[in-house]
Amino acid sequence: MTKVADRLFRFRGLLVTLVSRELKARYRGSVLGFFWSLVTPLLLLGVYTFVFSVVFKPRFPGSDPYVLFLMTGLFPWTWVATSLMEGTQSLTANAGLLRKAVFPAEVLPMVSVLSNLVHFLFAVPILVAGLIVGRLLGYPIGGWTAVLFPVVVALQLPALGGLTLGLSALNVHFKDVKDIVGNLLALLFYMTPIIYPLDFLKAYPPLVWAIEWLNPFTPYARAYQAVLFQGVLPEAQIWMQMIGWSSLLWLSGSWLFGRLSDSLVEAV
Amino acid sequence: MSVSIRVDGLHKSYLRTAPGFRLRTLKSALLQRSLVGGHRAEDTILALEDVSFTVEKGTAFGVIGSNGSGKSTLLKILAGMLQPTAGSVEVSGRVAALIELGAGFHPEISGRENIYINGAVLGLSRKEIDRRYDDIVEFSGLADFIEEPVKNYSSGMYVRLGFAVAIHTDPEILLVDEVLAVGDEAFQHRCLRRIEEFLAKGNTLLLVSHSLDTIERFSDEVLWLEKGRNRLLGSPRRVTDAYRLAVADREGQAHLAAKEARQRELEEGTGPGAGEAPDDEGLQAGLSPGKPDSRRTEEPRRWGSGEAEVLGVRLLDANGQERYHLVSGEEVCFEIEVEAHQELNDFVFGIGVFTPREVEVWGMNTGLSGYVSGRLQGRTKVRLVCPALRLGPGEYLLDVAVHARDGYPYDYHRRFLSFSMTAGSRGVGVYFPRYRWEFDEAVHWESPSPEDGRD
Repeated sequence: MTKVADRLFRFRGLLVTLVSRELKARYRGSVLGFFWSLVTPLLLLGVYTFVFSVVFKPRFPGSDPYVLFLMTGLFPWTWVATSLMEGTQSLTANAGLLRKAVFPAEVLPMVSVLSNLVHFLFAVPILVAGLIVGRLLGYPIGGWTAVLFPVVVALQLPALGGLTLGLSALNVHFKDVKDIVGNLLALLFYMTPIIYPLDFLKAYPPLVWAIEWLNPFTPYARAYQAVLFQGVLPEAQIWMQMIGWSSLLWLSGSWLFGRLSDSLVEAV
Repeated sequence: MSVSIRVDGLHKSYLRTAPGFRLRTLKSALLQRSLVGGHRAEDTILALEDVSFTVEKGTAFGVIGSNGSGKSTLLKILAGMLQPTAGSVEVSGRVAALIELGAGFHPEISGRENIYINGAVLGLSRKEIDRRYDDIVEFSGLADFIEEPVKNYSSGMYVRLGFAVAIHTDPEILLVDEVLAVGDEAFQHRCLRRIEEFLAKGNTLLLVSHSLDTIERFSDEVLWLEKGRNRLLGSPRRVTDAYRLAVADREGQAHLAAKEARQRELEEGTGPGAGEAPDDEGLQAGLSPGKPDSRRTEEPRRWGSGEAEVLGVRLLDANGQERYHLVSGEEVCFEIEVEAHQELNDFVFGIGVFTPREVEVWGMNTGLSGYVSGRLQGRTKVRLVCPALRLGPGEYLLDVAVHARDGYPYDYHRRFLSFSMTAGSRGVGVYFPRYRWEFDEAVHWESPSPEDGRD
């Protein structure tokens, strides 16, 4: 556990170099540049906004304007989903590198998580601008609590990092892991209060309970909604859940990675 | 003196590809931190078995062995990429490893960025790399290509960049596998000089190579691995000589086996028939019974009228031992066994030595030597003795014939057998005469050649 963290710290220079290369590689040679990293979330945003505010018009309590509510949950989710998808495959995709050269393997999944975090942060100004416009239009949204946004990100990072580390190491042994992750992510998206506020489901207590306590990404989504959209402090329970999931996922993920790292080069 | 590398009772097993055992492998990886733990012995391959040695700080250690002897596995364990299955490995000092060509480079990105990534992997900070960047580029000689993606580099350029980065990270221990052989002559010299400087500073080198010259030049001690085991460990000359001998032995046996196969082929065949042309059907069919269709395209290997027949040829050394791997300058006897099926009074015995590229190296027959034939009957052995056969290193093919003075062939064998030579001294070409250099006072040598005057 500490070994993985130590090595990540020792190779922080490499981490920074690889993340910046990853970002440059994505934007190099494309006309619209980093706009492309916004296309997926914006497209989803457009579709869901259309479906839920034009076609179905369900009454999601406290989610007006819907497009901003959705954006608040969707942008961090994109970070989660892309990190897990790329990160899970990061070791197997770099098998040649790992087998033939001395290379700190733990850096690879973390590069996926961090470079996608940067994409997420690039999109934040759009969200902030939207919130300001919404507020100017008279909606009771946003507020000073937005300064806590970096705290939520910092709490989510170890959770996502640990999970990605663990899954990437497992994917070396079972190539099915990446397919499972892909499908689970699709399911998890709906099991996380992103397109609806959690209260919307209160008619189904067991479902709410499962979403609230079994889905590690729920507290982070609710925290983003609290500090950015509603402009309130997240409840104490949400803070505890975030800290709990972060510790649990980081410790178990990096433990798993550490256990498997000795045999990684042979297995990959 | 302190020890840089200590390897004690090192074993390394690999898992054979076993798609059915994924869960067991994972369990073993989790619980024992090794893939092979939960598996039966027959599912694993032993790559290294009880290997032990120590390398003192400031010395160079060479590892030789044939392909598959475990050299690369050993290097990867020392570099920390693989974990030993059993035994202990201690490496004390900052390690840089050049293990595989172009490994560690990202093909899509430029040489410049790769220098930074490679340097970071070797433990340098961005600032430290900034400081060395110009030196690295200069040493690699790739200034004009440094902004190109490395996928456009040649293999030599890969090696130059890799070595340049590795040597500029100031490692205390450098592990080098073979890769240097890829660079061009000039770069190799620069590398070798740089390695000498590196050693002079009290650093440690572990070198894996097939080039025995390089091994001899650098190593203070050499390990010969065979099938994953310590075969011999000791001073460079002793180990490389033993290795050369063993390789020669193996090659000699291969020649012997080839010759025996040829002999069998002849015995099963019909021998030189009554035919007259090189295209003789019966003879050809006899020589390649399984491939009747290929015989037209193949050059005939044997022809003749058959009044006399070459039964066999052997190469003998000064002790009368049959040998097909020879050292340039030693005595060789070509022993030809002939049988005349009828009494002949017009006959010439001859041999021809060729390179595989059909260059005639030497041809000799009794006619050229001035013998005038009298009478030949029955079986006999003819010996042509060369007190010192001075050929350059390489493979040679032997033609043998018995024919009439006007060239009318009784039995002519092309490429009857092959033999090989190793040279005791340096030189190039097919002919290695005795020689010596002579100089007058105008020429002064830092050190005279130890080779001079050798055979």
